[in-house]
Amino acid sequence: MYLVADINVEICASKSCKLCTQYCPEANTILYSEEMGKDQGFKYGSAYVAVDRCKGCAQCVWVCDNMAKNNAIKMIMIDQLPKAALTDNVTYGEKSTTAVLASPVVG
Amino acid sequence: MSLDYVKFSNGFEKFMPKEYRDMVEHGPFGKKVSVSQMGSFKEVLEEHPMCAGCAMTLFIRLAMIAFPNPEDTITVGTAGCGRLAISQAAIPFVYGNYGDQNGVASGLSRGLRLRFGDKPKDVVVMAGDGGTADIGFQQVLHSWFRKERFTTIMLDNEVYGNTGGQESGMTNRGAVLKMAPLGKKFEKMDMVQMAKVAGCAYVATVVPNNPRRVESVIKKAVLIAREVGSTYIQAYTSCNIEYAIPTDKVMEDAKTVENDRYAFSEYVSDEAKQYLTERYGYKEFLSKPATPAAIPSKA
Repeated sequence: MYLVADINVEICASKSCKLCTQYCPEANTILYSEEMGKDQGFKYGSAYVAVDRCKGCAQCVWVCDNMAKNNAIKMIMIDQLPKAALTDNVTYGEKSTTAVLASPVVG
Repeated sequence: MSLDYVKFSNGFEKFMPKEYRDMVEHGPFGKKVSVSQMGSFKEVLEEHPMCAGCAMTLFIRLAMIAFPNPEDTITVGTAGCGRLAISQAAIPFVYGNYGDQNGVASGLSRGLRLRFGDKPKDVVVMAGDGGTADIGFQQVLHSWFRKERFTTIMLDNEVYGNTGGQESGMTNRGAVLKMAPLGKKFEKMDMVQMAKVAGCAYVATVVPNNPRRVESVIKKAVLIAREVGSTYIQAYTSCNIEYAIPTDKVMEDAKTVENDRYAFSEYVSDEAKQYLTERYGYKEFLSKPATPAAIPSKA
């Protein structure tokens, strides 16, 4: 098993700084959804991780903790994630993406 | 080399992988995208075998977003880590022999001008410190002396990271590496000064811990290279493997190095300032109006 980044939607959707996606070394990995978070009544959308692309470097954790001071990202073993996004379940829109969250590890 | 090359051939759309369809329909081609929109559009850089947490990968990712016209851009590279990612983007990539990337780019840039005339086709060289300052040094410097109109970007990780950690001309004096166990005996080469002496129209040093600055610097360099002359960007992109930087501390290291020896600097020739102002509406180079205190009072 290996670690991947997991973003706390409640914290992220109340801040929405988007720094994690700007500092992630991997393209198309930390994505932003306008709906995620707003559908739970928060002010903004939220960032989320396409876990099949995450290499587990934890740079986003450092950026979220030390630059944004939001402490919204934790590294979690991939089989411990309750639900996560995979690239195949991400849909790009005009100004945002949407993702169907599913259990990332099957079998 | 136009928007046509990123479109589907008739009847093939349903057979293309999802990533490709996303790239065609929601990629940056034909649009203006910026760092602030990251995470909401499909980026042209795809999955690649660069190490986890590599700052060079982040810089390349930002560079691909900063290109003013990605559909009209060709990247040129050479041996080194960077080419592992640059070649995995939906932007044509030419892989030169080790060190001849600026020679290849010179011919390519001239050929594109003959073929397409005034329509801008950008050539951007992205090579490591070994390819630029050591093995490719002669061709790099001569392309600048000839005022070849393309951008050279040095991905400076201060080591030969791809081959096990040998010292390069850009390694700091005293640095001890796996294949330089006694420490480097000479100073880091001053490529920035050499670029200015050789007549580059734009020279900048940058660290990827400020994505907006990286974007701004690359945009300016590519635009200036269209008409004015050679442009050079030197970017610190640490090797977290050879310098044993924990991956979650890469940005902390970038900040430390920025404060130590890689402070942001930007040189823009007068001709380039005028060009950016008149052609692309840049306001930062306009002479500031004199304040009342600065106007000598009439006696």
